[in-house]
Amino acid sequence: MKTFNKDIVRSICHSLGRFIAIAAIVALGCGFYAGLRMTAPDMKLAADAYYDGTGLMDIRVVSTLGLTDDDIAALREVDGVEAVMAAYSADVLGTLDGEQYVMRVHSLSPAAAASTAVDDATIASDDADYLNRLELAEGRWPEAPGECVIFNDRVMAGPSELGDVITVDGSVGEVEDTLARTEFTIVGRVHSPLYVSSTAMGTSTIGSGTVQQFMYVLPEDFSPDLPYVEAYVTVKGAADLPADSDAYEARVAEVVAAIEAIAPEREQARVAGLQAEAQADLDEARAEYEEEEARVKAELADARAELDAAKEELDEGQRKLDAAATTLAESEKKVKNGEKEYTQGTDSLEKRAAEAEAQFAEAESQIAANEANLAEAQKALPNLQAALDQVNEALATPGLPDEQKAPLEAQKTELEKNIADIETAATALEAAKAALAEQRAAAEAQMAAAQQQLDSGKTSMEEGKKQLEEGKASYEESKAKLEEARAEYEQGVADYDAAAAEANEKLDDAEQELADAQAEINDIEPPDWLVMDRAKNFGVVSFENDADRIDAIASFFPFIFFLVAALVALTTMTRMVEEERMLIGTFKALGYSRACITSKYLIYAALAAGFGAVAGIAVLSQVLPWVIMEAYSIVYYVPRGPMPIDWPIALAAAGLGVGITLLATWAAAGATLRETPAALMQPPAPKAGKRILLERTGPLWRHLSFSWKVTFRNIFRYKRRLIMTTVGIAGCTALLLTGLGLQNSINDIIDVQYGELVNYNVVISEKDDAADDEREAAGAILGDTGRLPVAVRATEASMIAQGADGTEAMTTIVAPDDAPAFEGLWTMRTREDHEPVTISGEGAVITEKLATKLGLSVGQSIVFAEQDDLGNATATTYSVPVTGIIENYVGDYAFMLPDTYRRVFGEEPDNLTVYAQASDDAGERAALSEALRATGGVDTVAFNDETIDTYKQMLKSVDMVVVVLVVAAAALAFIVLYNLTNINITERAREIATLKVLGFTPHEVNAYIFREIVLLTIIGAAVGLGLGVVLEGFVVVTAEVDQVMFGRTIHAMSFAVAFALTLVFTAIVMLVMRPKLAHIDMVESLKSNE
Amino acid sequence: MAFVEFREVSKVYQMGEVQVAAVRDMSFDIEQGEFVVIVGPSGAGKTTLLNMLGGMDSATSGTILLDGAPVSSFNKRQLTQYRRHDIGFVFQFYNLVQNLTARENVELASQICKNPLDADEVLAAVGLAERVRNFPGQLSGGEQQRVAIARALAKNPKLLLCDEPTGALDYETGKAILKLLQDTCRETGRTVVVVTHNTAFTAIANRVIHVREGSVAAVELNEAPASAEVLEW
Repeated sequence: MKTFNKDIVRSICHSLGRFIAIAAIVALGCGFYAGLRMTAPDMKLAADAYYDGTGLMDIRVVSTLGLTDDDIAALREVDGVEAVMAAYSADVLGTLDGEQYVMRVHSLSPAAAASTAVDDATIASDDADYLNRLELAEGRWPEAPGECVIFNDRVMAGPSELGDVITVDGSVGEVEDTLARTEFTIVGRVHSPLYVSSTAMGTSTIGSGTVQQFMYVLPEDFSPDLPYVEAYVTVKGAADLPADSDAYEARVAEVVAAIEAIAPEREQARVAGLQAEAQADLDEARAEYEEEEARVKAELADARAELDAAKEELDEGQRKLDAAATTLAESEKKVKNGEKEYTQGTDSLEKRAAEAEAQFAEAESQIAANEANLAEAQKALPNLQAALDQVNEALATPGLPDEQKAPLEAQKTELEKNIADIETAATALEAAKAALAEQRAAAEAQMAAAQQQLDSGKTSMEEGKKQLEEGKASYEESKAKLEEARAEYEQGVADYDAAAAEANEKLDDAEQELADAQAEINDIEPPDWLVMDRAKNFGVVSFENDADRIDAIASFFPFIFFLVAALVALTTMTRMVEEERMLIGTFKALGYSRACITSKYLIYAALAAGFGAVAGIAVLSQVLPWVIMEAYSIVYYVPRGPMPIDWPIALAAAGLGVGITLLATWAAAGATLRETPAALMQPPAPKAGKRILLERTGPLWRHLSFSWKVTFRNIFRYKRRLIMTTVGIAGCTALLLTGLGLQNSINDIIDVQYGELVNYNVVISEKDDAADDEREAAGAILGDTGRLPVAVRATEASMIAQGADGTEAMTTIVAPDDAPAFEGLWTMRTREDHEPVTISGEGAVITEKLATKLGLSVGQSIVFAEQDDLGNATATTYSVPVTGIIENYVGDYAFMLPDTYRRVFGEEPDNLTVYAQASDDAGERAALSEALRATGGVDTVAFNDETIDTYKQMLKSVDMVVVVLVVAAAALAFIVLYNLTNINITERAREIATLKVLGFTPHEVNAYIFREIVLLTIIGAAVGLGLGVVLEGFVVVTAEVDQVMFGRTIHAMSFAVAFALTLVFTAIVMLVMRPKLAHIDMVESLKSNE
Repeated sequence: MAFVEFREVSKVYQMGEVQVAAVRDMSFDIEQGEFVVIVGPSGAGKTTLLNMLGGMDSATSGTILLDGAPVSSFNKRQLTQYRRHDIGFVFQFYNLVQNLTARENVELASQICKNPLDADEVLAAVGLAERVRNFPGQLSGGEQQRVAIARALAKNPKLLLCDEPTGALDYETGKAILKLLQDTCRETGRTVVVVTHNTAFTAIANRVIHVREGSVAAVELNEAPASAEVLEW
């Protein structure tokens, strides 16, 4: 056996190329498998070491009403609790260097200053209750109020220098109630185990909704009467368990349960405490109220009494006045009666006078008439006398006939009578005149007496009247006085009533307030204790998720290498067995058993594979985790821990690598060993040439030169090599394409999202509680088309979208006021066909990643849940049909019309967010955000640049991965092509020598051999491009982080580059192999077949 | 001036620290159209001689001229061109490309030189008109050697060099091959050089060069060479 072993050793020495080929491919396969598989455990181990070394809390307890010292004491008593650290924290909007960030302010433990960093991952402190220990990376600890330390991550959180001042916006959130000051000077930078990821620091209810920076300040900088916001708890024995192990989770879950068990009691105690405190305050207030009430009431009563006295007086006055009025009335009556009598007297007097006058007048007129008649008669008297004289004459006239004398005598009697009558009448008249005069005098005397009587009555009446007038005047005066007094009184009453009403109202209000306060006290809801384990810490979870992502990729990726390893082993060992055909025959002839001879090849293969496996695992299990963690260190701060070899993984990898190699060897050796020694002593029947399908194409084939013909025939003659090379090269191209595609995918986030989809470059959100003038000032800037040529208002809301299987995704709902204009700022299209999508009134348009995550398609409904203060979904849900799914890479969004928003959420759109296009000039931007902030009406001004920078950082970490993939691809290509070329050259040494003898130029000889390799490379690369698309798709989806969709298209350029690089690798291999070809001696051609 | 002139040609191999002279001061001439047999025991330097004459190796010293061309002073590139256009080589083990048919094997040579003969005609001339589409694996040893000869002839070379052309063949077949070579020489006037250890072949040669221990022991001219058909060994 000794000699046999020597043969093995010599075989190795004489075919070092072969040995190395097998070792290398197995090294690559095992190394990649082990390295990638160990990365996740190494990452978790590093995380565990860091968490334990910094005393990262296992449990965080938050109460909605804060925690008291008693609560903290109670937590300490819980079984299994090791240490408890009570702390304050608050989310604020802080401005640093002109940029606004959502910051979480934590209280710094007093023990921090005394702690010492043992190594990267361990912070020692005397205070066992000092948890989440900070590592001071730069500067010093805060010593005085107003000093702070912030995250030592300049990339994500923006540039800052020690000494810079962070200004907290006091109007946002509950800053006034929580912080004692709003300006903090940065004195140092730290790493906190609470924030291992600079991209996933947690969510917040203010600003953009994600925490972007944290700072630690002295506890004094928090309001003095603020209860503890949270308590961090470590669990006994948990540190000894790996951080993500089931045992750890079980241990923590026990304590979580124990804390939850005391929670109701503590919650009640908190209520009781708060109630007692409030009740005391209220009671005091009530006492004060009552005192005040008594005072007010007494005052009112006094006023009332005064008023009543005044009323009494007033009434008395009234009564007097009334009496006076009565007297006055009586006097008046008397006066009136007197007046009446007087008037009546006067009247009757006048009447009598008139009557007498009338009688007199009548008598006078009678007299006058009689006088007239008399005068008439007297006038006629001379005539009568004359007539009588005449008659007398005539009678006297003698002669007169008697007959004539009789008439004359009658006439004379008549005349004489008449004259007598007239004379009597005159006498009678004179008598009547005398009687009348007498009568008139009597009457006049009578009248004068009556008149006198009347006049005296009138005088006395006038007197009475005058007295009455006087009485009336004094009455009026008293009355006016009384009225005045009454008015005064009325005023007094009104005043009193008003005052009383006011006082009563005030008292009632106070009473109501007291009652309300009482009700409030009685109604104080017990707080909710939220007991959260590390699974609620974004950094911890995302680090763990990323580790698992690596593991997912690791369980898939290395199989290409294993497959190629198997093929390499198979072809190589086949060739080796063929080469040693006669030797095998000789051994057989010498009586060595088949197993023994097979064992030579198996041992050879095992040694090669074992050597490769050991080397590969030893190197790559260190290099790969290092590279990947280094890449991740751009985003994560988890100090690299030890990278121990994980033996189960290492053994599995080695077993797999060596196993498949042995299997391939056994397959390769088996066929030859079955032949008889005699047959083996003969040269092998040369593998017959075969016509290939291509020959049947006729003309085409005929026009090929012999070297092309031989190339094509060779390619199909050795199928194993064809497969090995195709698979190997395909793997190489696929790896390259995966790396480049991954870069494309992340570049697309920037290029497509911010180059094609998003046409706004700034998002401004207004304060919802801004004063009118602030709002107006902000509105003026926002409406200024000089500054913002395009601006669309929209309503934004954060909700948790829920999938059917319980998947949750924080979603930003955007309801643009002017949807068509908004679609100009945000290109809505499908990813694959670039079909435009419109926001319709029927439902919501959602982004692709959201749809994929929730498993939604157009026509189904998306369910939104409102979130509570801690970002957990509540039971309040809304459902909206999905009308479109659009291409989008950053963030999860749902777009809808304002009407839809109103209808779905039953809320009026607030239109507080403005999507706009601002200048690209940095100076103008700074001026814009300065101007907007100065108005006081604006919450945040966020330019896309900041987000773009974040993704540029992510690209950097991908660059490392791309380098790893390119190196792996190159290694794969080299091993496979070297092996193939090596086999081809040694196998065809004779052919090549013959060609040389035939006068082939070196160039022609190279072409004869390498053309085949180039062709195989092209075939392999073409297959690899297809495989690469699949592989890249898998890696992209697996590596994708929350809220971000990587691009799904591999750029044409990447295909070209992957293809070209593969050819470059081939060219390098050919260059390396050329000398070997040149060194083939023509004399070979003269030798006999072996 | 002879067609081929060897003048004091030596070939020294450096074996570690020892210098081994495979060929020492070898001189001979060959005239155009002659059938030449170079004969000698194993290790006499036949193959070295052949290598140098065939342009596969260069001489350490001395002069080799072929048709006036100074082969011994050719550089590698010129040697390749020399092999390509002036020399036809027939190997002991045929050295056919297994993956090419008989015709293709002939074309392998004819496609690279200046004035090739038609492959089919040459194959017909060696009696393989029916087998042109067969792969070497489908041909007998004699047939394979005929293909090899056809391949060498198709190049229309100035010199046909044959290294133990019958070495891998049975008696009858070997004789047929020798006949073919002799006929080729006679009919086409091509200069043919056969290297062998078999002295029996000397009978059919115009010129016999005996080689022993790296030098030419004797050169004999044969005015009336026998026909290969009557040869016996």
